[in-house]
Amino acid sequence: MAEVIEQLTDELEEDTQKGKFMTFRSGNEFFGIELKYIVEIIGIQPITAVPEVEEYIKGLINLRGKIIPVIDVRVRFKQEPHEYNDRTCIIIINVSGTVVGLIVEKIAGVVNIKDDDIEPPPSLSSENGKNKYVYGLGKVEDGVKLLLDPHKLIKYEDLTVVIDSDEETVQEDV
Amino acid sequence: MAEEFSTDGMLDMYLFENGQLLEQMEATTLDKKDADAFDDSDINEFFRVMHTIKGSSGIMMFDDISRLAHKLEDIFYYLRESHPDNVPHMELVDCIFKVTDFISAEFDKLREGDDPDGDASDLIAELDKFLKKIKNEVSASGEELPPENKYVAPSHFYIGPVSTPDSRFYKICIYYRNDTQMSNLKAYSATYALKEIAEDLLYSPEDIMTNPDSSDIILEHGFKMLLQTQSDKEAVEKLIDGSGVEKIEINECTSEEYLMGFDVPVTIANGKEIDLDSDVASIVAKAEGKAEPKKELEPGDFVIKSKTPGKPKQLAKNSKEKGSSQQFISVNVAKMDALMDLIGEIVIAESVVLQNPDLKVPGLSLNNFNKAAAQLTKFTSELQDVIMSMRMMPLANTFQKMNRIVFDASRKLGKDIELKLIGENTEVDKSIIEHISDPLMHLVRNSVDHGIEDNKADRVALGKAEKGTITIEAKNEGGKVFISVSDDGKGLNTTKLFKKARDNGLIGYEKKESDFTKKEIYQFITYPGFSTKEQVTELSGRGVGMDVVVKNIQSIGGQLDIDSEEGKGSTMTLKIPLTLAIIEGIVMSVGNSTFVIETNAVKEFINVRENSMVTEPDGEEYVMVRGQAYPVIRLCERFHLEGGQTAVENGIMVIVEHEGREVCLFVDKLIGEQEIVVKPIPPYIKKVEGLSGCTQLGDGSIALIVDVGGLF
Repeated sequence: MAEVIEQLTDELEEDTQKGKFMTFRSGNEFFGIELKYIVEIIGIQPITAVPEVEEYIKGLINLRGKIIPVIDVRVRFKQEPHEYNDRTCIIIINVSGTVVGLIVEKIAGVVNIKDDDIEPPPSLSSENGKNKYVYGLGKVEDGVKLLLDPHKLIKYEDLTVVIDSDEETVQEDV
Repeated sequence: MAEEFSTDGMLDMYLFENGQLLEQMEATTLDKKDADAFDDSDINEFFRVMHTIKGSSGIMMFDDISRLAHKLEDIFYYLRESHPDNVPHMELVDCIFKVTDFISAEFDKLREGDDPDGDASDLIAELDKFLKKIKNEVSASGEELPPENKYVAPSHFYIGPVSTPDSRFYKICIYYRNDTQMSNLKAYSATYALKEIAEDLLYSPEDIMTNPDSSDIILEHGFKMLLQTQSDKEAVEKLIDGSGVEKIEINECTSEEYLMGFDVPVTIANGKEIDLDSDVASIVAKAEGKAEPKKELEPGDFVIKSKTPGKPKQLAKNSKEKGSSQQFISVNVAKMDALMDLIGEIVIAESVVLQNPDLKVPGLSLNNFNKAAAQLTKFTSELQDVIMSMRMMPLANTFQKMNRIVFDASRKLGKDIELKLIGENTEVDKSIIEHISDPLMHLVRNSVDHGIEDNKADRVALGKAEKGTITIEAKNEGGKVFISVSDDGKGLNTTKLFKKARDNGLIGYEKKESDFTKKEIYQFITYPGFSTKEQVTELSGRGVGMDVVVKNIQSIGGQLDIDSEEGKGSTMTLKIPLTLAIIEGIVMSVGNSTFVIETNAVKEFINVRENSMVTEPDGEEYVMVRGQAYPVIRLCERFHLEGGQTAVENGIMVIVEHEGREVCLFVDKLIGEQEIVVKPIPPYIKKVEGLSGCTQLGDGSIALIVDVGGLF
């Protein structure tokens, strides 16, 4: 019974969240993530660095006893890194069970974007298709938001790297 | 939460209890597989197990399981009643295994949430044939056949509740005057009154409410009741409504007689015997009381369930062995995990309180606080120990399963193999047991298939016993569990392994065999896609497996070690941490980062001077401590951290040991020793060599746990 209710409320929530995007600024661009992925937004926290990981993975934060990895979005988008200040926020997202924090420069608020106002990016290069974390351009009154696909955002650049390093592990053990 | 646990309560209970019975039965069978025949107590045990499974499966409407169990029960019934002495033992063992396999497979389906749709008809036919075979043989030799064990409709399955030593048993017979109207209703009101005090209540005729003719039966024969209660005779008498009653007979009886039903004369037993019997009864009841008690009764059931009265000695013996089982309760693992997590949080909260910066005010008198804090620390650490020990389970069960695997595999391959188990009482955290079962199974299969020679003559030629031996040994050493699987078979051939690895492209062609040590070459077999077996068999040889084993073991922080001597056999050793949850750790800082090293691994801390450092031309550093040289790892360099100390005088050396190898870690500063709750590094961050997890410190910050083994 409880499950049914939960499912219903989930559906309801998704319904009310449809078409709503949390937008934030990174560099000169504004990005948007669908509201349903977002768990919460917190201020910048002390981050424990983890050695030997990708540059954009800044480390781990402790959110009320849960340990969550955080990604610096600027570094992820290959923009110039910037100093963290009191406007810097961490957006905690949950992408099919993987909980990750995104460090963003500034939160810009929630906007409504209708499906009709979303266009696929008119990309010229086809080869970087695998890293297309921008799946659409959302048109709003004061400009365009780049809509992010969180699944691709948190994916490793190149999965083969991970596998290779695993094999090294085995050899080192020997 | 509560709903989650109770939704499938019946099914869970059914699977858990019957699963245990099956395991127990398999274990006994394996135990006796080399004997000539099962002895009486085994047959009784099997009979009981099958009977219970039949009954509870009937209640759950799993007809195929129920029918199959009934068939096997028939066989044991026959064995028990007529003691045929020419039963083909191996065939019987085979039958038992086929049945347990079938039922286990069905249970697996149920656990997955599927319907148990397996068809047992073939198996039943097979068992039928077997039963006929042993029967024919017996009847040919002129003995009498016992009566057929009738299949009782499972919907009327009755199981007595567990009795306590305080329980008394009464036979009550109420005779009503002949002119009493509606005596059945009066009888019913008597049963209703007695239900208040009854632990168990049976009556005959049992259809008093539904069958109007029952009143005549009651008038003629009296209304009989069997009552199990803790009250005394007077209290019972008082409860029964006196109107229309001509005579009430209340006789105290033993539980044995109680279980026999209505048709056995009452004997008054002395106190001592009652004690013993009620003990036996409680065990019988416990072993059989697997389903929800129902208040209907099919009198015939008792005939099956009751022990043969002629064997009191054996019963007493059994009760001693199994009596301890009453000391256990089964708890949902999710609840245990929740408790574990909570205690983890308490440990963290405790250090938050005790290391609170508010306490560091100068001049504050903390005498009383410190006393109370010490008390608290003591209790929380005891609490931890207790919950840890609750989660610890002996490896015996896992090892027993291996018995079965060796048995099956060796029969399939036609090899004669003996399995030796050593140290199966070693206790390991439950979560770890779940993870090692599959890898262990794989290793054992490998040993049977690849290890032991195909040909007995080969073994004899090498001066080995004809019968191969596989030994599984478990031991506890330095916070780790070592589980080794060794065989006295062919051993590994390094040249062959090397060639194979090169052919499979695992190593470059320019490499020579001498470039690798023996152990390095053995490790090749753990690479994906490596199999030395020329022919793929049903058991192994497809080249998937060893790499999976290694992956599984690594995922719980363990290692696989391979050692072998050609011609003499090989040994695979799993090294697994005892527990995954809470460890004692030394907290230290390097640059801006905090690290934790398991206290067990730390040998000593030492301050060294620049002049005791030795640097090789290639940059490798050593430190001389009391005339011994240790290699130095500077943690800040190893992990590419900034801001760490560089001058050895400003930091501290930590000598750590791992598997007999010692290394010196250079860190900036020691912070203290603390109990830490190990949390995994989120899987999103790929595994970093040399780190095994992370933890939350008293101030809420995160420290990384150094995996000493990974540093080498």
